Amino acid sequence: MIAFVAFSLRRAWQGLWHNRLMSVAATATMVLMLALLSGLIILLTGLDATLKYVEQEVQVVAYLKDSANPQDINLLETAVGQMPQVTEVSYVSKDQALKDFLGRHPDEAEVVNSLPANPLPASLQINLRDPNDYLDVATYLRNQAPVDRVLNIKQTVDQMVTVIGILRAVGIGVLVVVGLIVLFIIVNTIRLAVVSRADEIEIMRLVGASDAFIRWPFIFEGALVGLFGALITIAVLWLGQGPITTVMADYFKVLPVEASATVGRDVALVVLGTGVGIGVLGSYLSIRSYLIR
Amino acid sequence: MAMVSAASSNPGPNQTRLPGTPDKPAGKPVRPRVVLAMEGVTKSYPNGKIALRGVDLIVPEGDFVFLVGPSGAGKSTIIKLLIRDEMATKGVVLLDGRDLARLKRKDVPRIRRKIGIVFQDFKLLPHKSVRENVAFALEVTGAPRETIGPVVDRVLRVVGLTGQADQLPGQLSGGEQQRTAIARALVHNPRLFIADEPTGNLDPLISWEIIQLLLRINELGVTVLMATHNAEVVTALRKRVVALEDGRVVRDQTEAAYHRED
Ligand SMILES: Nc1ncnc2c1ncn2[C@@H]1O[C@H](COP(=O)(O)OP(=O)(O)OP(=O)(O)O)[C@@H](O)[C@H]1O
Ligand SMILES: [Mg+2]
Repeated sequence: MIAFVAFSLRRAWQGLWHNRLMSVAATATMVLMLALLSGLIILLTGLDATLKYVEQEVQVVAYLKDSANPQDINLLETAVGQMPQVTEVSYVSKDQALKDFLGRHPDEAEVVNSLPANPLPASLQINLRDPNDYLDVATYLRNQAPVDRVLNIKQTVDQMVTVIGILRAVGIGVLVVVGLIVLFIIVNTIRLAVVSRADEIEIMRLVGASDAFIRWPFIFEGALVGLFGALITIAVLWLGQGPITTVMADYFKVLPVEASATVGRDVALVVLGTGVGIGVLGSYLSIRSYLIR
Repeated sequence: MAMVSAASSNPGPNQTRLPGTPDKPAGKPVRPRVVLAMEGVTKSYPNGKIALRGVDLIVPEGDFVFLVGPSGAGKSTIIKLLIRDEMATKGVVLLDGRDLARLKRKDVPRIRRKIGIVFQDFKLLPHKSVRENVAFALEVTGAPRETIGPVVDRVLRVVGLTGQADQLPGQLSGGEQQRTAIARALVHNPRLFIADEPTGNLDPLISWEIIQLLLRINELGVTVLMATHNAEVVTALRKRVVALEDGRVVRDQTEAAYHRED
């Protein structure tokens, strides 16, 4: 068994080396596809997390003017709390807002501390009984003196749902197309390997090699292309995780995106599985026709 | 099934037999086992060409058989059926008692290991040395690594290529290349050794060397089936001759010569 795996791996490696130009091309397209795949996963995960947060938590946010009178704010808070559509209202001071922000983005502390004043406004965070009452409450709030602007979270949510839907559809469409191209390239890479070994295969059959010995090296060859592609992609993501996180955090600054600790691991697993899976499928498809007899 | 006629069966001297050749029960005389049997075999290729028409052929263990006949008579087709590269359209092909038509796909490789085969065009891998070419047949059949070296040494000794073991096929003469192919065909201790025009690419003197080697393998107890056009060799050796013509067996004689019409 170990001898068999060693044999298959050795031959797979020889095959890749023999057609190295094709192998590099196959690996490169594999990396391209896997990078697209992981980008899509990361983006969708971020958007989904944001969406969940927004849907579950506060439904209306009213930012208050820095110049607003504290008494007016108190009155407004009480008035809003008594509205039948509202289940809960809480006041977030400028200091609290800054604290919350720094809690979510500790890296930004230096930047924030270098500012002459706290840029974040105080706000009223309001939970609704029914999200559809949004418009009533928002209209009321907009006409109150201390209110600077009302964050239209329902609209944001609706927009996000649409954007996520489109992104997902387009992303999956592009992925499928790129995936098929990758598959096509792998099938051809392996077919080339099979053709360049036609003599060896003939001899193997004549001396009584089992199908496993004839086929598995090619399967390994495809799997290796997938593996290398996946490892390169993961390495690139690893090196780029700092910038990626920063960009994501910037992008979702208004909202607290908590990139879950398992995202990285999940992406790595998906990338690995997809890469090796497509590699194996491609080689299987290209040897199937050739070796049946 | 027709009775086995005791042809020129000559089990070789036992002290030199290849390991793995079944022991003969000592003492009482035994009827030789049948290595291959074909009965009423017809083969038509997908393009409609009928290559064999009702061939009957029985070869007992230890026989040395020449398969002769004009080009296109069906010699190579018989060989393809025996290694189950092709399947008979009608009739039965038994190899070592196994019906090849009923053989499961996964059992085919095991049956092929009972056959050693060489061709006119040697079929050696040009980038592998003599030793590596021979070892290849063991590697790809899953032989344990540590057993490969000794077996390769042994078969190279049988064919007399110990000294050229590390050369590439391109550095060898035609005869040496064919001997490499023969060594490779011997690694699994075959029950049947098939040679399809093994001397077709060799000059007469070298051809004789190859024939001597095949005779020696036969003496070691291995049944030999050789397809050939080489009249001189066939006539000189006085072995069993099976002549094909247009897919039919037209002659099957022991201690025979090559006829003009072959
Ligand atoms: N794969 C094939 N498809 C179609 N016809 C074939 C195939 N192989 C052989 N034939 C035909 O079958 C007939 C017998 O061929 P075969 O190769 O057995 O002849 P042979 O006796 O070995 O001839 P030679 O002495 O030239 O090697 C020929 O007419 C040949 O053209
Ligand atoms: Mg022929």
